[in-house]
Amino acid sequence: MGGFTSHAGAPGKSFRGFLSHHGLVVSGGILGLIFIGAVFAPLLSAYDPYTQDLANRHIPPVWYERGTWEHFLGTDALGRDYWTRLLYGARASLFIGFVSATIAGLLGVALGVSAGYFGGRVDAAITFLINLRLSLPVILVALAVVALFSGTFLVIVVLLGCLLWDRYAVVTRTLTKQLKEKEFIASSVALGSSRTGIIAKDILPNLANHLIVVWTLEIAHAILLEAALSFLGLGVQPPTPSWGLMVSEGKDLLFFEGWLIAIPGCALFLLVLSINLVGDGIRDVTAPENLT
Amino acid sequence: MTRYVIGRLALAAGVMLVVSMLSFSMIYMAGDPAITIAGESATDADINAVRKFYRFDDPIYAQYGAWMANALRGDFGRSYYLRAPVGELITDRFPTTLLLGGLAMLFAMALAVPLGVAAAVKPNSLVDRLSLMISVLGQALPGFWFGLMLILLFSVKLRWLPPSGTESLKNFIMPAITLGYYATPAMMRLTRTSMLDVLASDYIRTAHAKGLHPAVILFKHALRNAIAPVVSLAAVQLGFMLGGSVVVESIFSIHGLGHLAWESISRNDFPPVQAIILTLSMLYVALTFCADVLNAWLDPSIRLE
Amino acid sequence: MYAKKMILVAALLGCGALHSAWAGKNDDTLRIGFTRESDTLDVYFNATREGVVMAHLIWDALLWRNPKTGQYQPGLADEWAFIDNQTLEFKLKRGVKFHNGEKFDADDVVYTMNWISNPENGVKARRFVDWIKVAEKVDSNTVRIIAKKPFPAALEMLSNLLVIYPNEYHAEAGPDLFGRAPVGTGPYAVTDVDIGKKITFRANREYFGGSKGAPAIGNIVVSNFSDKNTLLAEVLTGRIDWMWNVPADQAEKLQNNPQLQVVNESTMRIGFVVMDAVGRSGDTPFTKRKVRQAVAHAINREAIVKHLVKGRSTVIHSACFPTQIGCEQSVRKYEYNPDKARRLLDEAGYPDGFRVDLHANRDRPYVEAILSDLQEVGIDANLVYIKWPALREKRRAGKVALQHTTWGSYSVNDVSAVTSVFFSDNPDDYAHDRQVRQWLAEGDNNTDLEVRKAAYSKALRRIAEQAYWVPTWTYNVNYVFSKDLNFTPDYDEYPRFYQSYWN
Repeated sequence: MGGFTSHAGAPGKSFRGFLSHHGLVVSGGILGLIFIGAVFAPLLSAYDPYTQDLANRHIPPVWYERGTWEHFLGTDALGRDYWTRLLYGARASLFIGFVSATIAGLLGVALGVSAGYFGGRVDAAITFLINLRLSLPVILVALAVVALFSGTFLVIVVLLGCLLWDRYAVVTRTLTKQLKEKEFIASSVALGSSRTGIIAKDILPNLANHLIVVWTLEIAHAILLEAALSFLGLGVQPPTPSWGLMVSEGKDLLFFEGWLIAIPGCALFLLVLSINLVGDGIRDVTAPENLT
Repeated sequence: MTRYVIGRLALAAGVMLVVSMLSFSMIYMAGDPAITIAGESATDADINAVRKFYRFDDPIYAQYGAWMANALRGDFGRSYYLRAPVGELITDRFPTTLLLGGLAMLFAMALAVPLGVAAAVKPNSLVDRLSLMISVLGQALPGFWFGLMLILLFSVKLRWLPPSGTESLKNFIMPAITLGYYATPAMMRLTRTSMLDVLASDYIRTAHAKGLHPAVILFKHALRNAIAPVVSLAAVQLGFMLGGSVVVESIFSIHGLGHLAWESISRNDFPPVQAIILTLSMLYVALTFCADVLNAWLDPSIRLE
Repeated sequence: MYAKKMILVAALLGCGALHSAWAGKNDDTLRIGFTRESDTLDVYFNATREGVVMAHLIWDALLWRNPKTGQYQPGLADEWAFIDNQTLEFKLKRGVKFHNGEKFDADDVVYTMNWISNPENGVKARRFVDWIKVAEKVDSNTVRIIAKKPFPAALEMLSNLLVIYPNEYHAEAGPDLFGRAPVGTGPYAVTDVDIGKKITFRANREYFGGSKGAPAIGNIVVSNFSDKNTLLAEVLTGRIDWMWNVPADQAEKLQNNPQLQVVNESTMRIGFVVMDAVGRSGDTPFTKRKVRQAVAHAINREAIVKHLVKGRSTVIHSACFPTQIGCEQSVRKYEYNPDKARRLLDEAGYPDGFRVDLHANRDRPYVEAILSDLQEVGIDANLVYIKWPALREKRRAGKVALQHTTWGSYSVNDVSAVTSVFFSDNPDDYAHDRQVRQWLAEGDNNTDLEVRKAAYSKALRRIAEQAYWVPTWTYNVNYVFSKDLNFTPDYDEYPRFYQSYWN
């Protein structure tokens, strides 16, 4: 890694880069669609995600013999419209992904930058924290904590935020160390800028590209973790729709009504895939020298 | 080198101390363990008897001290539910998880190394793109979902593989793939990068200039040098895998540590959970310590950090 | 070379000489799959259903209850009689031997009863043993068991959980080893134990027969699976012969499977909604009778049973299982009527409904359906789904305004095992109704059947009138097993594998 400038890349150049990068366009498009679906869920479906219809349970999607256009992705075990649940479920996944990756980011960047900038004891203490965090088995700790404090959105988001900051910290610590040696920082110091000023004006903008990449990775990571927690029965609590929960609820009929888990499973796969690809794309576009 | 090793050892010991405190404190967040132990039909008198028997009334630091002193001797107390000594449960379950982790790592290496090498030899070729695709798709696949799909296809539909159990190596094929594929992308990318670096180095050019056979250069000289960082990454990934085997073990009913941890969590039986978190952390710390020392030995510049 | 070796190893893994075991009849081994791990085979420390089922393979109790007739038949005792209302005398069977050759006699019974009833030994199943004062040997095959006070359910306990241990071996092995290497008189002997994973049994060819009869199947293997779907996959591929508690939807789909049989049987477990009528959890609308009645009218129990619970389950109106002694059926019934529910809420002063937490510890889909019914009439309920120990703690601390929970009465066919548990003076009582408590006490402490029934009837009628509970439905169990197996489930939910045989 290298190639720092005193300011983030010119926006015009990156934007053209975005458009010329096919992977980024396609994955960004998918991500955009999921986002729109989540935001405009009430407009895109005639049903309520919570309204049950016990007489019409497990209606298969329209491409099956018993399917109907009325519920084109079928209905779940309580007769709720699957398409509607999927749309609203996107909200849960996106919310948890974005918020916990952001919390983790704030934590990780604060720690990483301090460690890299101040060095010495601060660095030693934060290195210790990073090692501590890495030594804890994430899934087990998450399961135990959710079992102890129940799976509300707040608990899950804070928990994942506290578990996923390590990559930010490692990356920012290394980069900050390298940046500190650069001339433009030395000149800022010479000009009498304060430490916070230097961190805010000179260091953070130069980390932005890398942070966006880590951020996308962690969003994907958080979404998958939440899904795994829900799958084990310790994630978002019903009746709130979430994709992990939908897989978990559908798995009882895995051998008979495979679509029940295929649909949310594919949605989860597509979401995580597109987020990862967007992250990769941003890296390619903003830092082409990292391609090798 | 000695100073570096001592520093690393101190760090590892410190981490373990804090992990032990964290896992110990878990039992107090779990609500009243006495109620769990006493069971559905227990009266208040039963619960009080249990509380006395397990010394839940002692002050916390005294309990931590006693717990830690015992843990150092390998005695992690008894499982409330399984009523067996936790140490025994762990030594009983650990080999299964280790075997699963090892096989998963083997699978990941078997997939990642050849693809990574091929991608490095011919960058931007079809193989390169294919390996990139595998790594991108692999990272997005939810493990629990992938595992269920494997069972559906290979056990129920085709009847090739048993859906669960640990009787033979055959039982481990699907679980090892489910657990291993997630580690593949990172290792594949690292193999590729590391291989590209080595291939661009002077001594490889010299070897080519000497007229050595390309295959000999590739395997005997390049791969040998490129593989070291991959092996140390593998050590770290193995640590992650052992911690992440919960989902896989629960899907395939493999009675390993992860399964024990999950079952124990869901019945509020925290002594095994404490011990498992401690064990897995210790293992991870040991693996990273070895990886660090290996790297430092190979690359002296690291020692100065 | 490195990479090539890796590929080679991976390939070897894929094609090792491995066989797929087709279970069952061919090797005379019945393979049973459970989803709940058994910590120990010592039934006094593991009174789960699975624990009791396995205990009856390994041991015998003094009596045996015939599940078809409900009558008590000889077990290890040939004759029994009440000497007075606190003393039972048993004449023991002669010539019975434990699996290790130890002789069975009065010493074993006296040792077992006195050991389990001694609180220092920490037996978990307290309800089953706390009534015992002491056991005394009269002669080598006569024993007396003396209760602390008149105890109508004594025979029920003695035929259920209270199996007899070999005194010499148990004393020598100690409780821990005994739980892992048990020895009994029963139709099956344990040959191998892998705690939490697998237990292997072999038929006891020298079994004395008695009421249980001689075992027909040569070997039984009990395995544990963490995931119900994994177990189902094992059953679908023929590697496991028997499982239970298959959810209704799966059971329905399995009906068409030519390799399997699906049988549904009722159980004694009932579900019920408990409302805080006393205001223990603070100022709650449920202290108003009309609100409680509104809840009863709001829940569409028929639809939930028909579409979700299915099987042999039925809607119940009285706070007990219908066959239990004293379970009065002519109580006030609240039909599904959301309009009436809204009207009652309006009259009670809640025209816009209210917010409340609905607590539950199992059957998430059923509870979600109840939740949706409550929302329909304006009660904005929020699901709090927690584990049993947490719910119990919260409930006993008086913090639960609304809950749906279940109770299995430990298969004891008597109202004292359910209604009295929840409406007597104890922390589980959310009604604090003095009249109800009095009537229940009258029923519990009397040995005259008619007096008991009359007292329970009054209590149950008042409970329904006041709508302290909304009793919901009875539970059922789906058993799925191989076509080769002859197995008949009983309503008391204790599978009797010693009576099964291959078709």
